[in-house]
This record gives sequence, C-alpha cells and structure tokens, in this order.
Amino acid sequence: MKYILLMSGTKGGVDHYQAWTQKDIQAHMAVLHNINKRLSESGEFVATQGLAGPKEAKVVRGEKNGIPVTDGVFPESKEFLLGYWIVDVATAERAYAIAGQISAAPGPGGVSTNMPIEVRQFATFEQSELR
Amino acid sequence: MKYILMMNTMKAGQGMPNWAGKDLQAHIAFMMNLNKDLGDSGELVSAEGLSFPDQAKLVRAGKNGVPITDGVFPESKEFLAGFWIVDVDTPERAYAIAARASAAPGPGGAPLNIPIEVRAVMSAPPPEMM
Repeated sequence: MKYILLMSGTKGGVDHYQAWTQKDIQAHMAVLHNINKRLSESGEFVATQGLAGPKEAKVVRGEKNGIPVTDGVFPESKEFLLGYWIVDVATAERAYAIAGQISAAPGPGGVSTNMPIEVRQFATFEQSELR
Repeated sequence: MKYILMMNTMKAGQGMPNWAGKDLQAHIAFMMNLNKDLGDSGELVSAEGLSFPDQAKLVRAGKNGVPITDGVFPESKEFLAGFWIVDVDTPERAYAIAARASAAPGPGGAPLNIPIEVRAVMSAPPPEMM
C-alpha cells in the first residue's frame, strides 16, 4: 500500500528553519538521508522531494477562457508543504512508524523537531469509484 | 524545471463522495484526458490522488521513538486531494496546466474553479547541507 508522508509548515516556520546554524542543518539532513537509505534497503522507498519555499508559491485558477489567474498572497496561518516521502509499506502502522522517525529528526541544538507528519494513503480505484 | 501542482480541499472536500455517478465520471474523464495530454507532451512526471481526509493521520515522534498518531484536525485545515508533478520549460506553462486542472467539471458539468497551488520542486539540497 502506498502512503505519502507530508511535512508541512507555516511561512514563519520556514523563516525559523533558515536561521538554523549550518551544523544543525547538516545534522538534520544526515538523519533524513539515513532514513531514506534504510527505506531504499528495505524496498519501501518510492520517492521523496523537497519543495521550494512558500515565497515562490502561487495559487492558480482557470478563468472562463482558460487563462490562468495567479495569486501569491496567502493568510499567515496557511500551512505550506515543505517536502514529502512516498513509501510502499505492508501496513498503515509501518507508515506511522516511518513518519515518527522523520518527526524525531534533530533540530537546533540536536533537539528533536517533533514536527507533525501527515500520513495519507493513495486512493485506489475501489475507494474513489473512479470507474 | 519541475513543479508540483496541488489540489487542496477542506475536510468536506467539494462534496465529491456524494456526487452523482455521471458527474464523477465526467470529472474523472476530464482528469484522465489531462494526464494523457501531459503524457503525450512529455511533461507528466507523476499524478496521484489521495484517499479522503477521514483516513488522514498526523504523526509525531514520542520520546522513545514510538509514533503518536492523531486523527483530529481543525475544520479549516486544507487537505491535499491530489497532485501532479510536471516537468516544464517555464513557470507560465505550469500555471497554464494548473488553470486547466482548475476548470475540471463538477456537479452538473460546471467548472469547479478549484485553486491549484503551484510550487517548484527542488532538485537536491545544496551541497553545504549534505
């Protein structure tokens, strides 16, 4: 079963992250790399991506004639997707366990960020009655 | 340049689970056609739909590494309903694809006009962060 693990944060959270020391960022990235490596070894890794910062985000709607209308102004409280992992696991509990490992990645001073990770299963055709 | 196009909904979504079968079929046909065109142009990297928000969990690490799950969310929370990753030459092209997805038909065939969030995907962390 495929699950997507979503790491989200507000604009303020991203500004905070950008003020981390290089050493803290390196320690954080090392833990995430190690998680990716172990997921590859167990055959559960599908994909992972980091996204560019909220400053570059746009919301797009289609006008009547199909012309895109873009907007880059967001409420302060809006959560932005920072990055994600897609994993292929045997149980939901395994997806939660991986999310727990990601949440435990160290932040400033080596203290766990304890970031909430949203876990969502991919839709199957049965679930969403696509056919 | 890779972009992710995210379709977000509130918990109630667009009421999609309650749509008439005909409306749902028209919506899905529209999406499949969009994906086919993106595949033909070589711009489609991936497209996925997610299960409904009632199955979403929020996970945090407990002290001993045991995951703590929570399934209660504020009413105002936006949920990712699905996404496309496209590989395009310009951001404007990504916006044009997003506008097309935004116009997907809803109940009675009227365009949903769903907002689509467009974000650049980073290729890799800068070397100094590795």
